[in-house]
Amino acid sequence: MSNAQIEIQLIASLVAVACAIPGTFLVLRKMAMISDAISHSILPGIVIGFFITQDLNSPLLILLAALTGIITVVLVEYIQKTGLVKEDTAIGLVFPILFSIGVIMIAKNANDVHLDVDAVLLGELAFAPFDRLIIGGADVGPKSLWIIGCILIITVGLLMAFFKELKISTFDAGLAASLGFSPSIIHYGLMTVSSVTTVGAFDAVGAILVVALMISPAATAYLLTNNLKRMLIYSIGFGVFSAIAGYWLAHWLDASIAGSITTMLGLLFLAVYLFAPSRGVIAVMYREKQQRTEVSLLTFLLHLKNHTEESERHVNHLNEHINWQKVRSKTVLDLALKNNMIKFDKNIVSLTEKGEEFTSQAIDYIITNQDSKIEHMKDDFFLFRG
Amino acid sequence: MSKKIAVKVDDLTVAYNYKPVLWDIDLEIPEGVLMAIVGPNGAGKSTLIKSILGILNPIAGSVEIFGKTYKKQRHLVAYVPQKGSVDWDFPTTALDVVLMGTYGNLGWIKRPGQKEKKAALEALEKVGMLPFKNRQISQLSGGQQQRIFLARALVQNASIYFMDEPFQGVDATTEIAIINILKELRKAGKTVIVVHHDLQTVPEYFDWVTFLNVKKIATGPVKDIFNDDNLTKTYGINYKVSIQE
Repeated sequence: MSNAQIEIQLIASLVAVACAIPGTFLVLRKMAMISDAISHSILPGIVIGFFITQDLNSPLLILLAALTGIITVVLVEYIQKTGLVKEDTAIGLVFPILFSIGVIMIAKNANDVHLDVDAVLLGELAFAPFDRLIIGGADVGPKSLWIIGCILIITVGLLMAFFKELKISTFDAGLAASLGFSPSIIHYGLMTVSSVTTVGAFDAVGAILVVALMISPAATAYLLTNNLKRMLIYSIGFGVFSAIAGYWLAHWLDASIAGSITTMLGLLFLAVYLFAPSRGVIAVMYREKQQRTEVSLLTFLLHLKNHTEESERHVNHLNEHINWQKVRSKTVLDLALKNNMIKFDKNIVSLTEKGEEFTSQAIDYIITNQDSKIEHMKDDFFLFRG
Repeated sequence: MSKKIAVKVDDLTVAYNYKPVLWDIDLEIPEGVLMAIVGPNGAGKSTLIKSILGILNPIAGSVEIFGKTYKKQRHLVAYVPQKGSVDWDFPTTALDVVLMGTYGNLGWIKRPGQKEKKAALEALEKVGMLPFKNRQISQLSGGQQQRIFLARALVQNASIYFMDEPFQGVDATTEIAIINILKELRKAGKTVIVVHHDLQTVPEYFDWVTFLNVKKIATGPVKDIFNDDNLTKTYGINYKVSIQE
């Protein structure tokens, strides 16, 4: 690997981490779309900042552009508060207007400078290593690496300091307010971090990919864990993995790095969506199938328990009595036999002691809904896993 | 003998988009009562609680908790929001939710430690939810979720408890468990204020009641003012509730 290659992967990874942190909270607050709005509407901020500073990497430009991000959020909330339109409509109204103001400003004034819409939207990671930061004549690395590094350090610092506040105001804003943790301070804090991160990252990866890096890893992590800290760690992991894997995909395909990273993010989500151990589509389908079988089993056992007369329990008549098809009856019968719940006596089926006990416990559970009694049964049977 | 006033509300008016939902409310809640706030849908019951707790900004009026502003007395107050106001798919456990009750006393930045964890476990024990402490909150039944919320308020060890419909969508067992805990709180000298829907249970559960319908209709001891006259004034229709002795 050449130096430039390492630098590109490092920048992409740092951007991924810096995006995953605010992104996790945006997803949990159901505000994913606001990141899309911010990423577009910072354009006029970038253009104005560029006119003033003449330097795409100036901290002043980043602050000005981030301010446009905050203005977007405020405008969206203001329009929404009037009650005339819903939030998604408000977002759809605000960001295209701000974005187009930026487009017009570039067309009118910046035709002859290094700033165009493509660069802002898509970025070009491959060029990032060429723009070096020179301090006292010494080359200390690519500028974007320093910018995103600084933003990341601030983000991580804020996360560590205010993790508890972020958690409580995201989960229960009412309680947070009553305890004195102003949810609006935290809200605007998060919006500021999201805006600054978006601006800091756009030069390297473009505005569109920033959205993908904020939302996709968090959405993927959400399917895998029930723990906020772990969700953050998984998001970061998925982001970094996609950044590096995406870089090599682009290398192999000779295509856009930003596009390849986003594709990796999408593929990763798809894989987890399908194969996640408990919330994945396949796991859910499997569980539902198991549940159907187990409800059938219980119906069958209950039938045996309720009927003492032999005619009702003769193996040849069971199909008719419970009104099932042959295949299903066989599955259920096999399952009951495997678990030693029934026994045959001259083609008459009856419950074993274990079967009796299981049936009463299961009925008990269904009637009283008392979880504690059947904790041990849950390992064997899906039915009781809620 | 006059009791101390726990909560004093003066001329409180709250509006959403300039439409008043609470109009000129004066209310004094004595210390040590278990009080129901009753009224029809849209009467402003939740709004009243939220305004007292500083979650909503009133357009007029003031609130005092033991003679001082809410901001100064925050540590004396615990709040149980409506169960439906939060996202139960949030990635967290029962214990973690109860721990949130300790955040108020910790203040900004400081994290809960062993002491807070011990208090949270005790609160879980009190509501009978200790076996479920590590359960993800979406895996709990409605009644269990409500118990978790109650535990989160208990851990605050407050003097005044505000609860927004704690009996909504819970099974009978949980309802009894919750009311027993509320009665225990009253016995310990705490003041408990509950937004309540089931008029039949008011005389059985509470000793103090406030009738509310945008304006305050009446407030006082259940045995004196819980009658057909006030119910009719509050609900607008001829209301009859049989009060069992």
